[in-house]
Amino acid sequence: MFLKSFRLVFVLLLIGLLSVGFAWGEQKKAWKIGVAVSLTGVFGKDGSLVKDAYTLWQETVNSHGGVNGASVEIIFYDDKSDPATTAKLTEQLIVSDKVDLLLGGFGSSQLFAASPVAEKYQYPLISGGASSNKLFDRGFKYYFSTLGKATEEVRGCVDIFTAVNPKPKTAAIVGADILFTSLACEGYKKYCESNGIEVIHHELFPMALQDYNSLLMKVKNKNPDILLVGSHLLVAMKTIKAMKEIDFNPKAVAFSYGPTVPKFVEDLKGDANYVIAASEWTPNMPYSGKVFGKASEFNQLYLKRFSRSPDYVEAAAAGGAVAQQIVIEELGLKPPLNKENRIKIMEALHKDKFETFYGKIEFGADGANEAHPPVAVQIQSGKLENVFPLEFAEAKILYPFKPWKER
Amino acid sequence: MDTVFAQALINGLLLGGVYAAYSAGFSLIFGVMGVVNLAHGELIMLGAFTSYWLFDFFNLDPYLSAPFAMFFLFVFGYLVQKYIINQVIGQPHIMSYILTFGLHLMVANIAIKMWTQDFRSITTTYSGANAAIWGLNIPYARLVTFIVALFVTWALWFFLMRTETGRAIRATAQDKEVARLMGVDIRNIYAITFGLGAAITGLSGSVMSPFVIISPEMGLEYTIIAFCVVVLGGMGYMPGALVGGLVLGVAQSLAATYLNAGVSVAITFVILFIMLIIRPTGILGKGSVA
Repeated sequence: MFLKSFRLVFVLLLIGLLSVGFAWGEQKKAWKIGVAVSLTGVFGKDGSLVKDAYTLWQETVNSHGGVNGASVEIIFYDDKSDPATTAKLTEQLIVSDKVDLLLGGFGSSQLFAASPVAEKYQYPLISGGASSNKLFDRGFKYYFSTLGKATEEVRGCVDIFTAVNPKPKTAAIVGADILFTSLACEGYKKYCESNGIEVIHHELFPMALQDYNSLLMKVKNKNPDILLVGSHLLVAMKTIKAMKEIDFNPKAVAFSYGPTVPKFVEDLKGDANYVIAASEWTPNMPYSGKVFGKASEFNQLYLKRFSRSPDYVEAAAAGGAVAQQIVIEELGLKPPLNKENRIKIMEALHKDKFETFYGKIEFGADGANEAHPPVAVQIQSGKLENVFPLEFAEAKILYPFKPWKER
Repeated sequence: MDTVFAQALINGLLLGGVYAAYSAGFSLIFGVMGVVNLAHGELIMLGAFTSYWLFDFFNLDPYLSAPFAMFFLFVFGYLVQKYIINQVIGQPHIMSYILTFGLHLMVANIAIKMWTQDFRSITTTYSGANAAIWGLNIPYARLVTFIVALFVTWALWFFLMRTETGRAIRATAQDKEVARLMGVDIRNIYAITFGLGAAITGLSGSVMSPFVIISPEMGLEYTIIAFCVVVLGGMGYMPGALVGGLVLGVAQSLAATYLNAGVSVAITFVILFIMLIIRPTGILGKGSVA
């Protein structure tokens, strides 16, 4: 008998506690933001950088009283680097979790799969980690990217060679055969042609390629002045390892993505020097705006929180979150959002111009950021130095590349 | 012979040595127990990480840390077989596939939790060092791995042919019931075999660590290649891993040199497909098909 009544009291107590919790939750409605991003799989590393960027944004905003008085809560789901899963999780965030807004994860293939879902449910989707041209060719209204298009992103990596002497005459282009990196290769080709550099080798290879030595040996035999690589972090690291092993010494080597991730320099050490990489942002850029202040202050916050400097993709991701926040604040919206609110946000994102720590953000009709100059960085004595465009350059480009055996 | 061809051949042989080094353990485990170990790549990953951490914390050269990797992987393999895989011995093969696949997911994901997604690389003073002989390039680290593959193949052969435990392992592989009647402790032999397979795989991960990129999820692609290598050389036939590795390495290198890199990956599976149809016992015809 005693046990029975004890159970009853316990159950009642539990119900009471839950309803108190529920009521409390009702009173303090937070912004629910959903992110489907790769935390495992080939893009697991890149995706977790994007997660860090959003986490820092969330913490910074919440420590300043939230957005329009409501705190920000982010739901992260791991898409395991599989685009079909990204689409499924995006739908789950909208339908089951009923999030107010979305933010984009990492990778063009992932965003290519997630954006039709966002478009269908009329959720604005801003990404800072995807830039394939195809993302912008579909007439979507709800997809935005703070990065420039992939083919434009690598422009700095080629244009910089107009500033060196003697100017390279020939180039070899190799890259992984996936959306972003193959477009980067197209961009290299386009800007090589406009700069009068002859492309003497152009080859795409599958991500599953284990041995880069044979491929690069073939390129080495053609003796190009410069090597341009359409890459992600893993491809970039494997390329450097193989180049050194086969003693391949072009006058310069450039990557579309990878060397700006701190691990590249940390683990490859001296072998990372002289490497050139495409970028869209570095902490020394003279930009500033709401939430994070100056570009350098964003860098300081990152150092404090994660003991490392942010990569440009992280800045681009946080920049997108800031742009969305500015629109919400201007419209004076509060959670929960309805469909009409989200349409208003989409329209404002297209119309407004944003000044942020990441630089100017102006979304064109196709959703691509049109206000951003392509930047090139070079690793010099283990440090990333901004070398292009010349007006923001921190250092002069080191050219030509010092042969492996003389280092 | 022109230098391009000679270079492609050298690259292929060295690559084949790498393949052979990490596939020998897969062949051993399959040959004795009939277990297709889908967590094979994780053993390579653990070997490579052992070297990485010893290098990172104590600045210990990867070649000096190889014995630690072998020891650690032996213990790991022994325990995994004794307490996990032995539970499904005697049941249909599909059970061991499911079990080792589960093991692959578990080990990889625990590694992600412990060491994050980072891609890592060991850069020593000699990493990337290479010889140029008659205009031909030979990277030292790959040459060492090639020699390790030869040594491992020989040592395994010696162990299986000339030692008491080796004889017990062979007896178990041939007919486990008769071996049991002769007083062989089958479960213990299985645990020793898996431990041994894991140890030589860990050794390969360790000697490869100076020239590969290390990450918790690197395993699966190695498992796939090891499977192809072992089918090529003959399932369960010990020197087969060496033959299969060299053939595959040379085929891939020639394809990458004269055709393109995409074909070099595709060719792996074309060869696997053809072999399974026309010659399932491997190039030398000494593998088992059961």
